[in-house]
Amino acid sequence: MAVAEESHFGRAAARLGMAQPPLSQRIQRLERELGVRLFERTSRQVTITKAGSLLLDEARELLARSEALLAAARRIRDGESGLLRAALPPDIAGETVAVILRDFRHRHPGVELELHELSTAQQLGRFASHDLDVGIVHHPCDVAGLELGPVLRREVGVLLPRGAPEAALAEVPVPALTGYDLVLFPRAGAPALHDDILTACARNGYTPAAVRQGQGSSFVRGLILSANSVAFSPRDAQSAHAAEQDPDVVWRPLAGSPLTWRYSVAWPQGHGDTAVSAFAEAATNALLESATVSTDAPASPLYLRPTAEYWL
Amino acid sequence: MTDTTGRIRAAFAEAGVTGRLHAVDIDSGAETGVDGDHRVVTASVHKLCLLVTLHELAAAGRLDLTERIECPADTRTAGPTGLAAMLDPVRLSLRDAAYLMMAVSDNAAADILLERVGLDAVNRTTARLGLARTHAVHTFGQFLATIKEDAGPGGARSLTDPRVIARLRALDPARTNHSTPRDMTRLLGAVWRDEACTPEHGAAMRRVLGLQVWPHRLASGFPFDDVHVAGKTGSLPTVRNEVGVVEYPDGGRYAVAVFTRAASTAAVLPPADAVIGTAARLAVDALRGR
Repeated sequence: MAVAEESHFGRAAARLGMAQPPLSQRIQRLERELGVRLFERTSRQVTITKAGSLLLDEARELLARSEALLAAARRIRDGESGLLRAALPPDIAGETVAVILRDFRHRHPGVELELHELSTAQQLGRFASHDLDVGIVHHPCDVAGLELGPVLRREVGVLLPRGAPEAALAEVPVPALTGYDLVLFPRAGAPALHDDILTACARNGYTPAAVRQGQGSSFVRGLILSANSVAFSPRDAQSAHAAEQDPDVVWRPLAGSPLTWRYSVAWPQGHGDTAVSAFAEAATNALLESATVSTDAPASPLYLRPTAEYWL
Repeated sequence: MTDTTGRIRAAFAEAGVTGRLHAVDIDSGAETGVDGDHRVVTASVHKLCLLVTLHELAAAGRLDLTERIECPADTRTAGPTGLAAMLDPVRLSLRDAAYLMMAVSDNAAADILLERVGLDAVNRTTARLGLARTHAVHTFGQFLATIKEDAGPGGARSLTDPRVIARLRALDPARTNHSTPRDMTRLLGAVWRDEACTPEHGAAMRRVLGLQVWPHRLASGFPFDDVHVAGKTGSLPTVRNEVGVVEYPDGGRYAVAVFTRAASTAAVLPPADAVIGTAARLAVDALRGR
């Protein structure tokens, strides 16, 4: 499958973490065993034959089923002392991580939890390669092949210079941000989320003249203080640091809560066993404990345009 | 070639989509692709298979394309264009229904044609043309019904909910009409080389493929007055597809199939439409540069 997907023995071998000669030999052996030529080889690339492409779907299904079988066998063999590979995104508060761990151990004392700090893109990659059982992903992301727990929302507000006129308001209307540049994380990290945020800003009357890249909190703070900029940040990130209040930058909610960060627990379709469910419940409950997380969807209309091609 | 596939992958990532592509020079057979053998959901792209079936049956004398067919007002398949959007009973020829199905992706026109020829005939045609990984399992009406059922009481509004998207059967190639990018370029090659049908029917199919009205996907990558683009789109929540043929005045002609899934659940997502053209252009330029 790797050779078919990469169309190249060298790249396929690198992806599988093996050397090229043994991979070529194994393909040849497989072709002899099946009595079917799977690939056409030229000096520059490898292309799958028609026979090969006919077998590809079956091979893919076989591989996924064998992975599932191995995972099930591992859990059965280990009884309640199995291993659950789980991931959390880097922006989950430390207290929340602790609550999840405590709750999960309480629900499933025998299962060992192997916890990783991974971005959404990293988690999707590991789901695809069967190296992760469950995780918390940010939306929007490609959810093909995944099952999801409830979608949770964190309210997002704006960071402003304390001296700005808008800082005097209890909540800031989005159009009032006009005239400020916006500091946002680098687009390459999460293009869909980046574009969703700018679309939500535009929809609510704020189209920043410039979008500046910034992620680290002191760098973002510097831009807010010196470069006529604002940035977005979730409410809970502020309350966590309320004690060490910033003398120069303030956080204000946005009027009408037009921006939310959304996330949910995710696991590969058909692989939701009891340990996965226990983690999903523990994580969802822990996140819901923080007062600013909600599961309510905003009640905005959705107008499908004729180019949508489908109609409900 | 590696550089081309790298640039195509980067374009897909930049647009926030997972993309699969296959492109082939219709005459030389030179090809390029990114996950070109990956099984994909066809959605309305499957109307192309229905068009070819219709012409194949006509060429065999099994039906007459000028035969009139009734499209009653109350039982037609829903949709935002063509007969599907009209309010009153319509009577038209099979070939004019085929035109509406291809030009504006008319779901009602597609289903009255499908009722006339049958789903099995469509699968026989694709099998005969060697599209071993292409299969239709339901009509367009049945297909829309699964979306309605899976979306639940929230209706269209709930299609922005990632949890609803994750459970739509219409987005799972194992449970809906499916194909691969390579199968679709193979089909287009057969239509353009008059291998799918007689030259007369080939010309008729190429004509309606060239009359598709949408400018936002494949065609957007070729903003040149002297380059002809013909194609058929397919769309579903998070899914944006188009397969088509790009023809240059020097005689170069290229079949391209692009299937994407967006991370964002937004219904309006211009960059995800445009990247279909961008990726197709990268592929065609690479094939022309050989």
